[in-house]
Amino acid sequence: MNCKKAEKLFLRAHDGLLSEEESKELEKHIDSCLFCQKSRAEYKNIFDVLQKTDFPEPKPYFWERLRPRLNEQKFFEPWQAWKQWGLRAIPLSLLLVLFLASAILVFGPQPREEFSQSGVLLFEDQSPLQDTGTILDEEGVEDKNMMLIFASLEEQPGSRRPFP
Amino acid sequence: MDEKDLVQKSQEGNEEAYGILVETYKTKVFNMAYSLTLNREIADDLAQEVFIKAYYALPKFKGKAAFSTWLHQITMNHTKDYLRKASRMRQVPFEETKGDLSTQEDKAEKREREEDLAQKKKIVHEAIVTLPEKYRIILSLRDIQGLPYEEISRLLNISPGTVDSRLHRARKMLKKKIIPFLEKEGGRQ
Repeated sequence: MNCKKAEKLFLRAHDGLLSEEESKELEKHIDSCLFCQKSRAEYKNIFDVLQKTDFPEPKPYFWERLRPRLNEQKFFEPWQAWKQWGLRAIPLSLLLVLFLASAILVFGPQPREEFSQSGVLLFEDQSPLQDTGTILDEEGVEDKNMMLIFASLEEQPGSRRPFP
Repeated sequence: MDEKDLVQKSQEGNEEAYGILVETYKTKVFNMAYSLTLNREIADDLAQEVFIKAYYALPKFKGKAAFSTWLHQITMNHTKDYLRKASRMRQVPFEETKGDLSTQEDKAEKREREEDLAQKKKIVHEAIVTLPEKYRIILSLRDIQGLPYEEISRLLNISPGTVDSRLHRARKMLKKKIIPFLEKEGGRQ
């Protein structure tokens, strides 16, 4: 047996948890080991002091002092319950608001994009040049240019540039 | 009126019945708080707070365990909370203990022995309050209060094997802290 195991055993012996065999083995080691003899004496010294701890009495008029505090507690109970749970609810509700806000941003209705007339025609799989095709085929060059200018101005009524 | 009736009446809000329970258990609750704090003033405050807590928790007490066990559990948890807060703020005051006097022994010899014991107690108790909370608690429960392993295991909600190993470590830590002082103060046997 080494000194480490002996220390463990004599502490267990102090608690009355040692078998007879372990006791004999321990005594055999301690008889031959000065270090363990000293160590056991030191522990015994400590245990003696601990066991002699004086337990003073509680201060006088224990119940008389306690009774008004019970009633005082009754009065403060709703406020304390709020304090206990209400204060915990603040960060939780902030988290909830944050979560809802991000959910609305991600899954909420997206703003509809405005398309130009030619864009609409493209989405409808139609050529934006279809209306002007007949003009381009039939008229002379100057007329074609004038008609194309007026056609484009009709498409975008707000963008008409004043003549100089 | 037996304890069960007293508990039942207290649950119904009868303060007189609760007063009898307080008188019965105040010393036990106080001693447990004292063994963990080693300060009479604080232990008294903690004992009062434990009885207030217990009074308001009584409606939840179903009587599965004994009332004393339930009360001890509250005391343990409340004192642990106090120690945790106090150690965070480093405010665990230590109170010097005094030995009791006997009149039949030789006065000088007795005084010398008492002074020696008081000095040793002071050193040991000062060392205990500097131990980490879990070691301090287990040492107080076992070596100051003398509670059996099973009760400590139940109170702290740990296995008896953990009680054994933690207690072993606590005792080793305490010895390491105080032996140099005890030798210096002439505390050797």
